[in-house]
Amino acid sequence: MPEAVAMLHITKTFPGVVANKDVNLVVQRGEIRAIVGENGAGKTTLMRILYGLERADSGTIRVKGQEVKIPNARVAIALGIGMVHQHFKLVPSYTLAQNIVLGVEPRRGPFVDHERALREVHELSARYGLTVNGEKKVSDASVGEQQRAEILKALYRGADILILDEPTSVLTDMETDELFIMLRRLAADGKTILFISHKLREVLEVSDNTTVMRGGRVVGTVKTAETSDRKLAEMMIGRETVEIPPREEPPQVGQPVLELEGVDVYDSRGIPAVREASLVIRSGEVVGIAGVEGNGQVELAEAITGLQPIACGRIRLEGREIQNRSTRQIRQAGVAHIPSDRNSTGVALEAQVWENLIAVDYHAPPYSGMLVLAINRILSYAKDVVTRFGVQTPGLKSPTRNLSGGNVQRLVVARELGSNRARVVVAAQPTRGIDIAGTEAIRRMLLEYTGRGAGVLLISADLDEVLALSDRVMVMYRGRLADAGRVDETIRQRVGRLMTGAEP
Amino acid sequence: MSSKARLKGLLIGVAMQAANYALILIMALVVGAAVILVSGKNPIDAYIALFQGALGSPIKIADTLDRSSVLILTGLAAAVAFRTSVWNLGLEGQLYAGAFAAAWVGFSIHGLPSPIHITLCLLAGTLVGGLWGLPAILLKLRWDVNEVVSTLMLNYIAILFTAYLVAFPFRSPTAFMPGTETLDATARLPRLMIPGSVLNIGFLIALAFAFSVFWFLYRTKLGYELRMVGFNPRFAGYAGMPVRRSTFLAMIFSGALAGLGGAVVITGFFGRFISSFSVGYGWDGMVISLLAQNHPLGVIPAAIFYAALANGALAMQSATGVPQALVVTVKGTIMFFVTVQFFIAFLNRRLRQWMPSTS
Repeated sequence: MPEAVAMLHITKTFPGVVANKDVNLVVQRGEIRAIVGENGAGKTTLMRILYGLERADSGTIRVKGQEVKIPNARVAIALGIGMVHQHFKLVPSYTLAQNIVLGVEPRRGPFVDHERALREVHELSARYGLTVNGEKKVSDASVGEQQRAEILKALYRGADILILDEPTSVLTDMETDELFIMLRRLAADGKTILFISHKLREVLEVSDNTTVMRGGRVVGTVKTAETSDRKLAEMMIGRETVEIPPREEPPQVGQPVLELEGVDVYDSRGIPAVREASLVIRSGEVVGIAGVEGNGQVELAEAITGLQPIACGRIRLEGREIQNRSTRQIRQAGVAHIPSDRNSTGVALEAQVWENLIAVDYHAPPYSGMLVLAINRILSYAKDVVTRFGVQTPGLKSPTRNLSGGNVQRLVVARELGSNRARVVVAAQPTRGIDIAGTEAIRRMLLEYTGRGAGVLLISADLDEVLALSDRVMVMYRGRLADAGRVDETIRQRVGRLMTGAEP
Repeated sequence: MSSKARLKGLLIGVAMQAANYALILIMALVVGAAVILVSGKNPIDAYIALFQGALGSPIKIADTLDRSSVLILTGLAAAVAFRTSVWNLGLEGQLYAGAFAAAWVGFSIHGLPSPIHITLCLLAGTLVGGLWGLPAILLKLRWDVNEVVSTLMLNYIAILFTAYLVAFPFRSPTAFMPGTETLDATARLPRLMIPGSVLNIGFLIALAFAFSVFWFLYRTKLGYELRMVGFNPRFAGYAGMPVRRSTFLAMIFSGALAGLGGAVVITGFFGRFISSFSVGYGWDGMVISLLAQNHPLGVIPAAIFYAALANGALAMQSATGVPQALVVTVKGTIMFFVTVQFFIAFLNRRLRQWMPSTS
């Protein structure tokens, strides 16, 4: 089989983060290649480079034997590369057929030849078994159908190298099975498929070869038939023994501060995202929740902090029930929340630094009276926490947008922990995308907090982080929490099994 | 930062903004001049007449300030809503509703001491203007109805319903145009002591409200909540702020300010409610707010500028025969450049957001 794509010595850095480091990836024509790794392993960046959405700092790319430069997606499309993004890019008010031919419509004179477009779309869809009803509007189509339209969109533009970014994350099991049948048919027809995933069972089911990435590097490429989910999980999360940094003193574990009992949460579409979740966090303890993202972690955090209602169960803070109270009541009762998405949830980027720092505490004395904010008192408090938490900012009145990502995160941590009030800290991905110094600082702040008798619920897709900070680890898979027990020498293996849905 | 350095920074910022707006104005005037040239008139003469008409004498200046009163208030109305990301496009309707309410109190209650009568008129306008925003915001909060559409529709209801009221039940037999009775003298805003000018205390009321709205938005808890909700409602909810209440209040306050604008222009200038009295004060308010980058104090110069354009346009038409519609071209061009600027700023932001897309 001739070579379809070769990416050689690709390196790509973002400010503070190395996304790809000397990555090599060679894929043959007609191959289904899975690229797996934890979040932040660099899979998506690598594919975005191939599709011309990012430019590599160094390295070469060959497509079908020719060395090429891919400055933008148009060049990638001309080279026969198509990409189906995790979040579809379709025009909701157009029909599926209109979306598929969008921008390259067949024409009759100056007009779009709708009939021919529809006919061509249906021919293409019949050829690969990608059933779509071209006349249906996107807003009426199922998620699976929208995805098939995305694939057809790429094929219609002549793609023979297809990149699929986490294609199954939005699909039901049946839709996933259908997708795999289609992918095999496409591969049999000579199309090359690059398939990003972190669901190992699916990877094992559909791919010919699997490349594992970790921390921006390729750990290895294996024949899928000769591996197992256990081996892949080990490659993904690393084989090295756990290095538990010595906690200054053993945690003084006390009374339970947060208890969850049989909590169910439905997501915005009404699908259960958290099922029968139960856990206990004691004073002075860090409980880590590991697991691949999208298994209900966000919903769990939002349910505890009052941003999403729970359908059943109980949540108790130091014995008092807090489920389905307002966010303000829950925060005042003593829950701090570091959200997983700092830019869209954790701050208002247009607001000034002090305005973000006081957003939780502004409404009560000493920071305001009945009506008016005590601006001077707020500013001196803000100055104090900015120093204490090492937030690098041009000034308290600068727009928050001017801060770097790491400093925005420090700002969030400073706000949530600065007032020393919280009994429970829900920390979701607290160090994502942050450089090493910032990561260490934030981890230290969290650990210090437990020293004062608070409990921390640490939710992170970064297993190293979970293991480094937690006293106990639970794994979230498909909305359910499974207990992986105390952190010890065999924790990685136990977590790895639970992460892929195996029984404990 | 030392206070001296801060002052310097502030001055540089103001100077940059001023230069920026001056550039926009010049570009707009050039476009306007081209249009005047094409129509075969002399643009220099036209612009001189425009300037003379707007600011050529103390009386002209006073009249321009008078016209700016209502524009300041509708501009503030827009600023409060837009700061909260509530898209109240119903200012014109709220203005009419408030204006009629003020007029009704003005001509149907008699024998009150003037300060009380005036206060009642203005209160009525404020209240009814705020109420006119109520259906739109309730629909939004209850059923997620887009307020852009509902407030636009409420404009028609207000404008046409008040037109009906003055055409039939409240029509004054003495009025030349469909309008109500004249207001009692006790309800009229007292003139400021500038002989020959209509300038009245309405202007001072508008200025006071500009400072009050500034204080409200930047110094009070409620104002802070409104602004944070406007920046990022998700963040505001996450921090525990009352997002729905803020949205609600923003619409009601916005309507109230527009209604007060209507009340001021009726009690200060017209002295009775006349159908179609507003030459787009509500619409201009939105543009003024945008020009002022939704800042309550920036609204003052922006509104005075718009008032000057309007007054100057009338003088230009009578002196040189260049139709006042030309001024609409100039206004439109200014808006074009201003929005393009915002668009560029928006693009800049988005680019910076996209850049650090890791993983």
